[in-house]
Amino acid sequence: MARAARFSNRLDLVLFAGCVLLSLVSMVLPPDLREPVASVLRRSLVAPLVRLQQGAERWRGAYLSAQREELRRDTLALAASRVPTLESENERLRQMLGLGSKLQWGFIPAEALSGRGRIEDFTITLSAGSKAGIGERSLVVAPEGVVGVVQTVDPSMSLAILFAHPDFRVSAMSADGSAFGIVQPHIAGSSTPPQSTFLQSERWLLELRGVPFRSSLKPGTVVYSSGLGGIYPRGIPVGIVLGEIKTAEAWARTYLLRPSVNPAEITAVMVLTPKRGTSALTNVWADISSVDSASRRIVVAGDSLARQAASAEAAARRAAIDSALRASGVVPPGDSAAVRAESVSVTIPGAPAIPRSPTTAPTTARPRDSTSGARRPRPDSARRDTTARARP
Amino acid sequence: MNWGATIRTVLLCATLVVLHYTLRPLLAWRASADFLIIALLLAAVRVRPGVAAIIGFIIGLATDSLALGAFGAGALAMTLIGFSWSKLKAVFFADHVLLNGFFLFLGKWAYEVVMNVVERRMQGAELLMQILVWSSLSAFVTAVAGVLALMALRPVLDTRAA
Repeated sequence: MARAARFSNRLDLVLFAGCVLLSLVSMVLPPDLREPVASVLRRSLVAPLVRLQQGAERWRGAYLSAQREELRRDTLALAASRVPTLESENERLRQMLGLGSKLQWGFIPAEALSGRGRIEDFTITLSAGSKAGIGERSLVVAPEGVVGVVQTVDPSMSLAILFAHPDFRVSAMSADGSAFGIVQPHIAGSSTPPQSTFLQSERWLLELRGVPFRSSLKPGTVVYSSGLGGIYPRGIPVGIVLGEIKTAEAWARTYLLRPSVNPAEITAVMVLTPKRGTSALTNVWADISSVDSASRRIVVAGDSLARQAASAEAAARRAAIDSALRASGVVPPGDSAAVRAESVSVTIPGAPAIPRSPTTAPTTARPRDSTSGARRPRPDSARRDTTARARP
Repeated sequence: MNWGATIRTVLLCATLVVLHYTLRPLLAWRASADFLIIALLLAAVRVRPGVAAIIGFIIGLATDSLALGAFGAGALAMTLIGFSWSKLKAVFFADHVLLNGFFLFLGKWAYEVVMNVVERRMQGAELLMQILVWSSLSAFVTAVAGVLALMALRPVLDTRAA
């Protein structure tokens, strides 16, 4: 038994020594002998295990690939979700650039940081201060119109009140200049009837107060700063008329306005320097200039048409009277022929030219006479002119 | 010889070897469990030291065939580990789970040390860092995996019959 145990121990040692020896031999084998042994092992014993490992690595590769694809989709979705924000920001900055190019000088671009507290709802912090040239009561504008006015200035920042601040006032007018008034915030209790429900969102609206009773504004009319207040120059859009509201003031109208600037979009603003604020802002906000010029064009066109129609009517009447006189054998007064000929030559092409008398020529050539007659055409104007000029 | 226990042990070792070539690449951890070491421990405590040395040698040589830089190193390490475990089983009663875990940690760490030293891919501080940090971590993970496997397979394994 002991001999068997000793034999087993010796056998174990021999096997162990043999394995160690073979391992050492494998380690010192030259590469050209080592490779065939390894190759045999790879093709026989290890081959199925290697195939298993390849399959596992393929699974892992597929899993990682799917994960990468998912991440890529998430990234794309994230990027796509940011596109509208970037587009709106881009649009806003483009508008700011457009406003800057129209203002040309005397403005300071600033970033607007909204107030954090409830009291600060109508106050914004601007990222530029006195170092940049901002002073107290500098105007804050946006591409859409009036934003507010600077109240406190520090070297590197400033505080401005928005148009909805209770202290905000601006003298305003309609685009055609037919109605003037004062724009102020729409605060509950001041003008709203007691029975109406005042919504929180209405707090951002404005009121155009003190409009003369004879002036009526339709909804949609744009209201601009009139420049009468001395702070805001003329021509900056303030708001759009929503409708008339009833107030206790019986001698004037009050209109509710929607602000030109959406308070939620006040992210970047322009602050006008004091010098720029007092100088003209023509053609900066294209709307008012285009509206003004359009209304002027309409008035001028209407005048010229009326003038032309009156001239034609008077000339025809004169011609009919003259021909009737000639037919009855009555010679018309001497100078009246000249006047007739002038009138006809003006209105009827191809009429015979009759020399003018030196006394009447300067009189008839005055444009005021002809235009005054044309503005208010009357049935007897031609005869009166004719007779008046016929007298010496 | 209990043929039933032998077959169960062979099947479990085969399963662990398969896990080594499937689960390990799937996890791809920096310090991953070595299921071949666990399989060798399972086998070594059930056979004579000489047979354990041969099993270790075969497993090591098979591993070396995929890593030509240190051909023979794995075989040497596995032979030493298999023979030692089988001898230690005779000295200690190796049916204790934590003791098995300790042996696994020691065996895997020794294997890593032998491989890193023989391969000569790293030197100096880098070799020291690899042995002390990554090899230790890998040995710890292997020990944990081995202990879990032994606890799960305890009803199946019957060490007393081996």
